Parts: sequence; C-alpha cells; structure tokens
Amino acid sequence: MINKAYVTLLMLPAVFCGQASIAEELTQKTSSSQIVTEDDYIGDVPKVLSVSRLSQSLADSPSAVTVIDRETIRAAGVVDLPEVFRLVPGFYVGTNAGYVHNTNHAVSYHGMTTAYSGAMQVLINGRSVYSPLYGGVQWSELPIAIADIERIEITRGPNAASYGANSFFGVINIITQSPDSLPANSILATHGNGRNEAFYRHAGKVNALSYRITTGYREDDGLSNRNDFKRTRLLNAQADYQLNDKNSLEFEFGLAEGARGEGNINEDPILFLPRTKQINNHYELMRWRHNISDDSDFSLQAYHSFDRSDDKSTSVDLSPLFPPGLLAVPTNILVKNEVETQRYDIEAQHNFALSKTVRAVWGGSVRQDSMQAPHYLGTNKTDYFDLQRLFGHAEWQAHEKLVFNAGAMMEHNDFTGTDISPRVSINIKPTPNHTIRIGASSALRTPNYLEEKFNRSVTAPTLIPNVTLLRQFYADRGNVHPEQIVSREIGYLGRVGRFSLDTRVFHDTITDHIRFRNRRANFVTPPGFVLVPGDVESALNDGSATIDGFEAQAKWQLFAKTNLLFNYAHVHIRETQDGLEKNYIKSMPSNTISALLTHRFDQHWDASFAYYQTSKATMLGDGDPVDLIRRSDVRLARKFNSGRWNGEISAVVENLFNERYEEFADYNTLKRRGRLNVSLNF
Amino acid sequence: MHRLLHCALALSFFAPCFVYAYTGVTIVLSAPTLMNQEFVEHFKAELATKKNLNLKVKVIDLQEVEKLVVADSGELVIALGVNALQASSKLKMTTPVMGVFTPLPTFNDLLETSKRDLGNFSAIVLDQPYTRQMLIIKAVLPEAKNVGVLLGATSSQYEELLKEAGEKHGLNVLEEHITQEADLIPKLKKTLEATDALMAIPDPLIYNRETAQPILLTSYRHQKPVFGYSQSYVRAGALAAVYSSAKQIARQAVEITLRAQTSGVLPPPQIPKYFSVMVNTQVARSLNIPLMDEEELQKKMLRLETMQNEEYRH
Repeated sequence: MINKAYVTLLMLPAVFCGQASIAEELTQKTSSSQIVTEDDYIGDVPKVLSVSRLSQSLADSPSAVTVIDRETIRAAGVVDLPEVFRLVPGFYVGTNAGYVHNTNHAVSYHGMTTAYSGAMQVLINGRSVYSPLYGGVQWSELPIAIADIERIEITRGPNAASYGANSFFGVINIITQSPDSLPANSILATHGNGRNEAFYRHAGKVNALSYRITTGYREDDGLSNRNDFKRTRLLNAQADYQLNDKNSLEFEFGLAEGARGEGNINEDPILFLPRTKQINNHYELMRWRHNISDDSDFSLQAYHSFDRSDDKSTSVDLSPLFPPGLLAVPTNILVKNEVETQRYDIEAQHNFALSKTVRAVWGGSVRQDSMQAPHYLGTNKTDYFDLQRLFGHAEWQAHEKLVFNAGAMMEHNDFTGTDISPRVSINIKPTPNHTIRIGASSALRTPNYLEEKFNRSVTAPTLIPNVTLLRQFYADRGNVHPEQIVSREIGYLGRVGRFSLDTRVFHDTITDHIRFRNRRANFVTPPGFVLVPGDVESALNDGSATIDGFEAQAKWQLFAKTNLLFNYAHVHIRETQDGLEKNYIKSMPSNTISALLTHRFDQHWDASFAYYQTSKATMLGDGDPVDLIRRSDVRLARKFNSGRWNGEISAVVENLFNERYEEFADYNTLKRRGRLNVSLNF
Repeated sequence: MHRLLHCALALSFFAPCFVYAYTGVTIVLSAPTLMNQEFVEHFKAELATKKNLNLKVKVIDLQEVEKLVVADSGELVIALGVNALQASSKLKMTTPVMGVFTPLPTFNDLLETSKRDLGNFSAIVLDQPYTRQMLIIKAVLPEAKNVGVLLGATSSQYEELLKEAGEKHGLNVLEEHITQEADLIPKLKKTLEATDALMAIPDPLIYNRETAQPILLTSYRHQKPVFGYSQSYVRAGALAAVYSSAKQIARQAVEITLRAQTSGVLPPPQIPKYFSVMVNTQVARSLNIPLMDEEELQKKMLRLETMQNEEYRH
C-alpha cells in the first residue's frame, strides 16, 4: 500500500492519520540536498512592503489616477514614451516638429497649453524632470528606455500636496523596474520607417547589491517633411544596495546625448534656419531608505541633473531687409542659443501609520535650479532659482466605507514668494467594489524662467556710429504671480465582475493664467540702440477660465484572453474674462477617445489594436487649427522560449489606414509607419 | 471515519515492541531563541494547569553542551528545532523523541537516517496543512479562483496534494517549478498574470531572506496578494498567513506528552492543531481588499475547518 502519511498530513485539518508503513516510502524518497530548517519557515524576513512603498489604493486615492503598466505599454506598441499618454482620459498628445526647443511631443491635460506643455509635474523614480526654462519635458532627451519602465501613474488633476511644484494640471509619475526582477541580459532592437534603435541591458546581483545597466542608441528620422531628426545615445544605471534589514541605498545614473535637427524654413526663414544641435544630459541620484519601525519609514533623496543644448544658428544675409549700406559686415547674425540648466534637489520624507486607520506622510525639500541661457535671459551670467517646500498628507479611514484625505504643500521660491496649495477629499465606499469620491484641490504654478525673465533679442551693428539695431522679441518685466487652479470633482470607481469603470466630472477654475502679450509700448529701448519694428512680448497674468468636463476609463475583460481598455473625455473650456481671444476654448479637443483591444491567441501569439480619436482643436502658442483625427494601430507579437533564450518578435503598424492628418500644427503631417521589434532575454 | 479507524488499527499493530513510560521531560533547544524560550515557558505553564506534578521538566541548550546526554530511561525528549532533533535522534533508540519547530521534509529525512521507529520518534511539524492555507485564501478572497504556487526542489513533492487541497476549496492551483534562481522572477510574473493570489509554500530555494524583496515587490506591483506561512512574511509584506504560536504548539505538545505518558508510545507526527492568523492591514488597504480583524477571521476559519472535518469523517 502506497502511503504518504507524513505528506498527507498537509491535507488534514487537525486530523491525525499517521500510518506505520511509511518507512518503505521514505527510504525511496530522494531527499533534497539542502536540509530545511525552522529558519526557512519562521526565520526573519526583512520588511519589504513598508509604509512608504505601499501606495494608496485607487479606491482610497484623493484624485483620479490612471495606471499604465508594462503590459499596456507593450500592447500599445509605442516607440516614443509620450505616445502612451494617449491612453489616459483627458490627455492630448501631439507630435510636434517645431523650431526652437519644441521639436517634441506636446502633452497636455485639459488644454490651455502650448507646445512647451509646462503645466505638468513629471517624475521618474521621484526625480522631477520638467525644465526650469519653460516648464515642459524634452521627452526624447530623457535617459530612459521604455523597456525599463515598470508602470506610469498619472494623476489627473492638480496634486501639489503629494507631488510638489508644477503639479498643476496633472502629474506623470514614471517608475522603473527594480533591478532584482530582471533577466541577466536583454537585447532589444527596433527597425522601421524612419526609426532604428537598439538597447542592451544587463542586470545582476552581487551579495546585497542588485544592479541594472541599460545602454542604447536611438535613431529617429522624424517626420518626412520636417527637419526634426533625433540621434540619441543613452545610458541608464540603477543599483539597490541592502545595507541591512532596516536600511537600503539606491543609486541611479543616466546619460543622454546626441544630435537633433531643428529649424524649418517655412516658419522661420531668417534667424533659426535648419541646423543641427547637440544635446547632452546626465543625472545622478541617491536615496536612503530607512525603516524606522513596522509602521514608519524615512527616506532621504538627493539628485543632480544637468541638461545642455548646444545650438548655434546663423541667420540669412539680413542686408536685403534694410536700406543698402546700413548694416555692418557680417550682415548675417550668429545666434548663440545654448542652454545649460542644472538642478540640485534634496528631499526628506517620513511616512507613517498613526493607527490602523490613519496614514500620513510629511516632508520637505530644497531645490536649486541654475540656468545659463544667454539668448533667452539676455545675459551670459548664470541665474539661480531656489525653491523650498514643506508638504504633508494624511489619509483617515474613518469607517470601512469612508476615507478622508487632506494635504497641503507650502512652497517658497525666488520668483513668487510663499504660497500654499491644499487639497481635501472624501471617498465613500458603499461596497468594496464601488467608490464615490468628492474632492477639491488647489495648486499654484510658479512662472518658469521664460515667464519671469525672458529677454530675447538680436542685435545688428550698423555703419552709423553708436547705432545698433535691436530686434527685441521678448522682454519680461517680472513680478508675475503664480497661475492658480482650483479643481473640484466628483468621481466614481466601480467594478462589476470583469468590468471596471473610473469616471469623473470636474469643474476647474483657472485664474491668473500666464500668457505673452505685446507690450512694445512699455518697452524702453536702451541707449545706443534703435528698435526695429515688431512685437515685444512679455508674460503677464492675464487670463481666467473654467474647464468643465467628464471623463471615463473602462477596462473590460471581454473573454478570458481578450481585454478592452476604453477612454473617453469631454472637455469644455470657457473664458471667464473679457478681452481674451477665444483661443482657450479651442485649446483642447472637446472630445477625445482612445481604446486598446488586446487578445492572446495562445501562449505564443498575441495581438492588439489601438484606436485614437481627437476632435478638432487649436493649441495655444505655435498650434494651428487641426481637424478631427482618427488613428488605428495594430500590433502582432510572437513570444518564443528555447530554454536559455526567450523573447518576442513583434510587428507594429501605426496609422493602419494611412489617414492623412495633422497634429498640433499644420506642418506635422502623420503617415503610416511600420516597425519590427525583437527582444531577447538570456 | 473508516479511514481514521484504519489508521488507529494500523498504528497499534505496528507499534514498536520496546516502549517505556516516562516520568520526566527533557526539552532540548537548538538555540536559546525567543521562540524556543517561549515554548519552554508555555510548556511548563500549560503542564502546571494540568496539575500533573509527576513530570519533571529539564531544559538543555544544545549550544552549551558538548554532547547531548539524557537519562537512559524514563525521559521524553522534546527537541526544539532541527539541530536539536538531529542530535536527539542519535539518542538511545528506546528514548522517545518528539520534534517541535521542525519542517516536515526534514522530519522525514531524520526518520530515515536515524532508522528510528514511529511510536518513539514523532513531531509537531511546522507545516500548516494546505487545506488550512486554502481556507484563509477563501476567507479573505471569496471570489478567488486561481492560486499560484511556486515549487522548488523540496516542495515539488507536494504538488498533487496542493492541487487536491485546492480542489476542495474550489481553487485552481497553478504551479510553476523553479529549478534555478534565475527562473524565479520570470516564473513568478507568469504566475501572477494568471492568478488571483500567490500562496507561499516553504522552500529554501524560493522563499528566503534574499528573495523576499523581489517576490513581494513583484507581486505587489502586479497588485496580487501573497499568502505567507509565517508571521515574519506577513510583516515583510504578505497579506495574511496561518501560523501557530509557541504557546499554541506548547499546548499541543503538553496534550501529546500527557496522552502518551503511560504507554510511552508517541502518536504519529502531527500538524499544528491550534493556529492563529495574521493579516497585514496596510497591505490590505493598499490592495483595496476588505479584511475582517484577525480574531474574526480565525473564528471564521475554525468554523469552516470544523465543517470540513465533519465532511472528511463522513
């Protein structure tokens, strides 16, 4: 009789059933080489999910949050990071091959932004990456490979209390994979229309140190009708060192450099002609995590980032524009448009649970941004911007059906002094699967360098003694107040079986909107200069609006292996101040739809279909009126696994039906593009 | 019921010939750990409540003696931990030895290598029955259908039992076999994608101090709860676990000690009879899983376990 008495023990709930003929079986049993001790069962394990690592569940969150995970990024088949934000309700993403510092995707939430998209906080592993110059993010210059991203959490709506400065319209929080969960070696390669890239990643573990190094090269030819090519070499490294059960250190380093094509004769036939510029960025980050107790964590983070863009442009011969013999030789102007910014930031944070029902976080940070941008600031000197903030946020589960959130950030900076951004919300959960959220949040956006100290001009010496021609484009007068948003919302989160829904209606009030107006009349021409005709713009708080709307995100598992993600947003902007130019209203497509359908055929094959639709819009700044856009992408992938090697081959076609459309501005004509991707892990 | 009867019959039939009643208990400690000391304390206290004064309790710390020596006869040896059990297994064959805080696979190994007989070599193993672990999953996640399990060299022998235990509770067990450390996280990810929760089964290759972080973080990032097998795993970030405290094990050990005292015949190895549950409320909130408190959960499980035992008997 075969008997597994001691094995069978595990089947029995407190019932004894030992049988004596066990010895026979036991002698046949091949015992494992390793002796299993009580330590393997009850030994100490370091605390992993400490309070600071545990994020609020979406049902307890004070704001609407969309999480885009690796799998969604993979299924969407995107090659440019900002493209994934098309899958967030209320977001507008526009490919833009602009001219100066805006050969970049325009990413906006609820409109009212220009190509520089400066009203959003963007964090990569807690490091703020928006530019102090214009407040936006140069997506292609971030030293990050999409393959290294674990997930992206997008807070829809202001959340300065939790994410700090610039968390105005929304927050994009990018989190990379932790090094200890990666295969030892990975190779990723992409080849397609106007696009080639290759990455190599190595991950490993040496005692208590786990690390990852990713290096790659990206070749992006851009749009066929524009001078917007991008060549990027990048390196990114991350290491976690577990000092002991209570302390760990994390290190990050990243580098991106390469050439960029900029300038287009149609938009600027005089000054910024087609040219190639060089970018060079790097950052270093260090974080210490300390587990104080089961309910309390402390972390200290410091980082430095350096971004440089070397751009020189020689204008056309300007003499035909002026009376003959007026200009001194050379009659073309050299514009030295280099920009060098650095950011030093130190942040301390304390997360703790006061009781089973109250969790809180508070902390503070100091930051210094430095800026050297002669062409923008009108000086060769380096300018410094200091910012300090204190923040706190608490979550109280008053009842299993009721959660309160409250928080505030106090910010002090060189430009606008001291301000407070508070927020409150109530989450009502009639059942665990249904949540109603009522919240209000306020945030301030400090003017960026261009809004506070923009002083851009070109000068041309003449043959007349002591007379130099001055073309002044921008002349900020300073003293701009922060822009303010007050956002009120009612949201609903629900799940029924395989269907989940996240919807909200919102009413945002924006005051003191910062925009540029011609104030030539106020401009005082310095002695020795003659002002050439043309607008002299400066930034001022001149605009208020309300944004009302509705947005929804639905996830539906149609069948066991078929999933649908569907997003819809309706946004209506109203200007609430006289004398505006009716351009806020159009600065966001009133209806946006995106959908991602994924299906797994078997363990090898899977396919996805993505659909994006935006109604007509005219973005601010360089934006032109663009029509309704419909775009469909398909992706087919096959996984393979041959023991030591595993990976995936996939093919992506963007804009499958080859609809001709323009994004952001009338010169960004998008066509069908195809790509082949190979990834290999070993 | 029939099955139980069979067991009892078989047991009496095969019972070793040379057994002696004991008049004292020697507790052998692998090390003076907190858990072991708690056991000793509770064992003595529990014995005192039974008003059984004829049993003398002696304690030996294995780390403080060169060679383990106990009285040749009249002693029951209770060995705390694997080292103590290993040393005790080399004692005279007639000395009854009961292991405590010993994993089942190791008990099996020692039974084999020591060539001892059942009846005077037994244990209260550390392993919680799988059915109990399935119960807690069902109690916490009533809607769960698929449970992931990672099996290594030691635990893979229990695969069939796990599946059976799962079936009993309407849980489909999806297992992945791990043969080398490099496979751990990729296979974990694969498992998490197809399951509602991960059930941790002790195996030194899979669950150890070094792997706790990647396992718990990866599971958390997939928003899937981990059901652990120890308090420390729950503290580290598992959602919940069934465990037996030193006090509970001591209570069971006293019961066995008294029951076997006159005959000197130890019952077959046993699973922990009394248990507690531990939950991590912070993890539960973050995963938006509503949890009843530990006491309530334990009561619910006891109720379910009793119902299940009834079924088993009929």
